[in-house]
Order: sequence, then structure tokens, then C-alpha cells
Amino acid sequence: MNDGKKGGISRRALLKATLTAALSVGLGSSGHAHTGAGCAVATLIDISRCDGCPERETPACIQACRQKNLLHVPEPVDPLPKVFPRGKTEDFSGRKHLTDRLTPYNYLFIHKAEVEHGGKRWSLNIPRRCMHCDNPACATICPFAANHKHKTGAVVIDSDICFGGAKCRTVCPWNIPQRQSGVGIYLQIAPTLAGNGVMFKCDLCHDRLLEGKNPVCVDACPREALLSGPREIIRAEARKRADRMGGHLYGREENGGTATLYVSPVPLEKIDAAIEKGPGRPHMAPVQRRMAKTDTLANSVLLSPAIGLTAGILAAAGALKGRKNSSPEEERKP
Amino acid sequence: MSPKTGEKQNLIRRHNLTEIVEHWAIALSGLTLVITGIFELPIAGRYYITDLPGMKWSGDFIFSLELHYAASVIFITVSLFHVVYHVLQGHTGLLPKKGDLKASVEVIKSFLGRGEEPLFHKYLPEQRLAYAGMAVIIAGLIISGLIKTYKNVYAPDMSYALVMWATWVHNVFFVLFVLAFAAHMAAIVIKPNRPLVRSIFTGYISLDYAKARHPLWLEEISPRMQGAPVRGERETPVREGREEKEPVQEDAGACTACNVRDAREAPDPDCEAVRDHQENTSPGRKT
Repeated sequence: MNDGKKGGISRRALLKATLTAALSVGLGSSGHAHTGAGCAVATLIDISRCDGCPERETPACIQACRQKNLLHVPEPVDPLPKVFPRGKTEDFSGRKHLTDRLTPYNYLFIHKAEVEHGGKRWSLNIPRRCMHCDNPACATICPFAANHKHKTGAVVIDSDICFGGAKCRTVCPWNIPQRQSGVGIYLQIAPTLAGNGVMFKCDLCHDRLLEGKNPVCVDACPREALLSGPREIIRAEARKRADRMGGHLYGREENGGTATLYVSPVPLEKIDAAIEKGPGRPHMAPVQRRMAKTDTLANSVLLSPAIGLTAGILAAAGALKGRKNSSPEEERKP
Repeated sequence: MSPKTGEKQNLIRRHNLTEIVEHWAIALSGLTLVITGIFELPIAGRYYITDLPGMKWSGDFIFSLELHYAASVIFITVSLFHVVYHVLQGHTGLLPKKGDLKASVEVIKSFLGRGEEPLFHKYLPEQRLAYAGMAVIIAGLIISGLIKTYKNVYAPDMSYALVMWATWVHNVFFVLFVLAFAAHMAAIVIKPNRPLVRSIFTGYISLDYAKARHPLWLEEISPRMQGAPVRGERETPVREGREEKEPVQEDAGACTACNVRDAREAPDPDCEAVRDHQENTSPGRKT
């Protein structure tokens, strides 16, 4: 046990050293090459290592996340503006204490699952938050560019310009973003007619990534169930761990690929069947990237200027040639 | 293309088939872009549009985006075709001329019953200004839309500043496009302009109307147009004594339709308006 622990510590220390070294030499030619700050980052969540911090009132990752983010959510106006015509608002300001689901005040929670697999009963604790997709529809089709995927890999909502229309939640395969009504810029425009608050979710501690630091949840985890680092190194490590435990990956292919890789000792379909799902509690089922079906037409759009220019040149050349070749007599054929 | 029967008598061609197709392709795809663009906002579900018969799709942002892309292919292709096709042929009739702003004010005043409107070339001065304005708006929409499209497929992590600019240029120019479209519709509601509407469907307007309101155009096309025999009823009353008071200029500019500099000396047989008129007025014309 001790040997194993020592070995485990040693391996973890080695991994940390590797990640640090990789960060320190940089990943490319960006302006942050020396520190790795700002480079594409991924996160590994090793489900086999997370125990949900049973000794704590609130798991360490959640605690750290809330300490960093809770103060940034403004207090909503009272009363909330009436939303025409449906009148539906979402207000979590009286439920800030909730830590067992995603809310505008809680961007990370532990999903619990009891699973039978390989003749063994597994009590699993799964940290859940935004997956930070490689090509996130929540960001690309935000009508106001209030949501954006940054070079760090973090998908970040700018709460200063978000209208809270919840389009991002609708197109997110996991319905991650959570709305708080009564806050944000929509209050200054036409709160009854347009917008309904601000959407909130994990931003992967984008500000810290820019400084070359880890997300706070990663640093807070006492069991190193969460790791973050250069994208390719983390992806390779996730594959290695999954192979070693005969386990499974989630997030590598989902929604076209994400910056979050779950390594699980049990099949994901069993976890998905076991977890409680609903608002603020996302599934863990396979996900196809819905936007993929728009890519062909999008490529046609990108080609259309060349098509129009070419057609115009050919048609004009034909018209000019016809004009030169024709004579008044020919044109006035009876 | 050329009129062969008596149905076209007393008419003059204002647009050829290419121009009509260009106009309607841009108009219909543009309208589709406006509607599908609006449905990229989260409003269809909120405002019960999805509950209307046949409108359930309006709440599906990704399906609306597919329609938006499909319409964009037509819109961009035809817009670029339009620019290249007409620039290479030297068609400049729709480009603003010096003094158009002042003339436009006079025209608008005349619509309000104050003063007389000036004589027109093929297009009204405010049409030329509106065309330039719409060209800028469409260029802004196309450029910003292409950036957004490229981002959607290949570079979701492109510069946030660029994404922000492209998004807001697209949004602001969308509003301008809708306003310009509304102004376009308002222009054809104005009574003196109504006889022009038929040309965007059929290519032709009344020769009487052209002689009364667009004599500078007729002069540019050919001197034969001046004093050409007129058949049929006038579609628009001509202001009393107008022809006598405001004789057409001797030195007309380039023909906007056929690009002949001195149309009187060398009327271009390739000019469809000239050809149509010659066919309509020739003694051997079929009726």
C-alpha cells in the first residue's frame, strides 16, 4: 500500500513535472511561448480518483469554484421585470446555496452514480461542468458574440453583453449555461420585450489560464482527480489512463471533441443510466455535433464569392464579345 | 428577348432579363436572409411564432442557420456577379452622379407638391443614391457574414475582436438593410414612381411615361427616340408645357444601357432598348 502510494505520488509528481515542463517550453509560436499561458489547454477528470470529498461539507473543487466566482454574479433587481408575453423568469438568487446542480451561482457539481460493472459495485463521483467544446455552437451562433471560444480552449460568456436569451443553453448538447433573470444589460434596453437576464457557466478560469495557472478546481482537488495542461499532453494522458484501467473516455469525440476528457473505469452508458438528469444536471450520453450538418452549406457560402466573380467575368466577356462581333444589319434581322 | 408582337407597342425596355433575374435573386434571397436572420435571435419560441401553422422550424436555430446559409449562397453569388458583370461592361447608370443629392431633395419636394421634379436619366437621382447605399450595406453584410461563417466552421477561436466586429457589423447592417428595404418599398408606393414597377417584372415601361419623365435617358439611347410616334394612352399625366420648357440637352452623357458615348451619331444596335424601339416602330413590324 505504501509502495503503491509512494509510487502513485511519484507518478503524479512525474506527471506534474512533465506538464510543467511542457508549459514552460511552450506549445507553439504564440506570444506566451515561454510560459504556455494562453495556449490551448485541456482538462482531464479521472472518475476513478474522485471520491467527492466525503470529509468535507462541500467538495474542494466546488468550494474553490464558488469562492472565485460567486461574488461576480450580481444581485437581481427586485421585482424581476415582467417578460412579455410568456412571463417566464429564472431566479436562483434565493438558492445560492445549491451545490448539487448547475445554477447561475454554481458552475460545478458532483454527479453521483451507483453502477454495477465487472461484478463490482462502483460508487462514482463525477465532477460536472461545461465541457468547453472544440467547436461550441453556444459560442459560434450567439447573436451578440457574448460567448466566445478563446485560444486557451475556454468558452467564456461575457456577462456584460449577454442578453440571457438562453440560445446557448438550447444549442448546448448538455444544456449547461444557466440563466439568472433580473441582471445584465437587457435591463437597460427593453427588459419586457427582449432578453431575460444573463447566462452563467464555468469559464475554465480563463483569466488564470492566461497567466499560465490552472483552473482553481484543478488546484483544489486533494486527490488530483482533475488535471489540466497542454491539450495534446492531456489527451494523450487520458488515453493512457483509460488503456491502463481498461476504462473509457468521454469528451474526446463528443460534440466534435471537447477540452474536457473524463476517464472512467466503467462504460459511460452505465453512468448515464445511473445519474440523475434534469435541469442543471446534464446527461453523459454520446453526442453528435449538430452543427456538422451545416458545414457543407457553410463551405458553399465561403465559395460563393469566387463563383459569383467567375460567372460575372465569363458572362461579361461573352456579352462584350457578342457586342463586338455583331453588326447593325445582323441585329436588325426581320 | 426583343418584343416581336404588338403587345409590346408603346413600351420601351428598361431592364434586360439578366438584370431582372439579378434583382429578384437578390431580393428573394435577401428576404429569406432577413427572416432566417431574425430567427437566429431567441424570439420564435418566446413570441409563439413556433405555434403558428408551418412555423415550428422557426425555433430551431440550426435549421434556420441552414436556410440562412442556402440563401447566402444565392445572395453572395448574384451580388458578386452583378458587380463584375456590369463593371466590366461599363454600365454606370446606377452609380451616383454629381448633384444627385440636391436633385433628390427636389424630387422629394415635388412628391410633396412643392416645385417640379427635374428631368431624369434612366434612373432617378435618389435611386442612384439608394443603390450606392444599398451596395455599401450589402458589402458590409457579405464581408461580416463570410467572417462569421468561416469562424463557425474553421476557427471558433479566432480573434475575439474580429468576431465582435463581424457580429456587430452584421447586426447593425441588418437593421440598415431592413430600413433600406422599407424605403425601397415606400418609393414604389409613391404615385409618380408606380409605372416603373412593371419594368422589374416585364423589363418594359411605357414609352409615354419615359418620354415625359426620363427624356434624358431616351436622348442618351438614340435621337430616334425623340419625337417617336406614340400609341396608346399615357400612363402618367405629363405636366403641362414641360417638353417645351425643358428641352433635352444636346450633349448627353454615356448611354447607361449600351455604353455608347454619343448615342445620336452611333446608336448601338446592341442596346436592347434601341433595338426594341426600332422593331416596334419599323414599318414591317408584326402586329
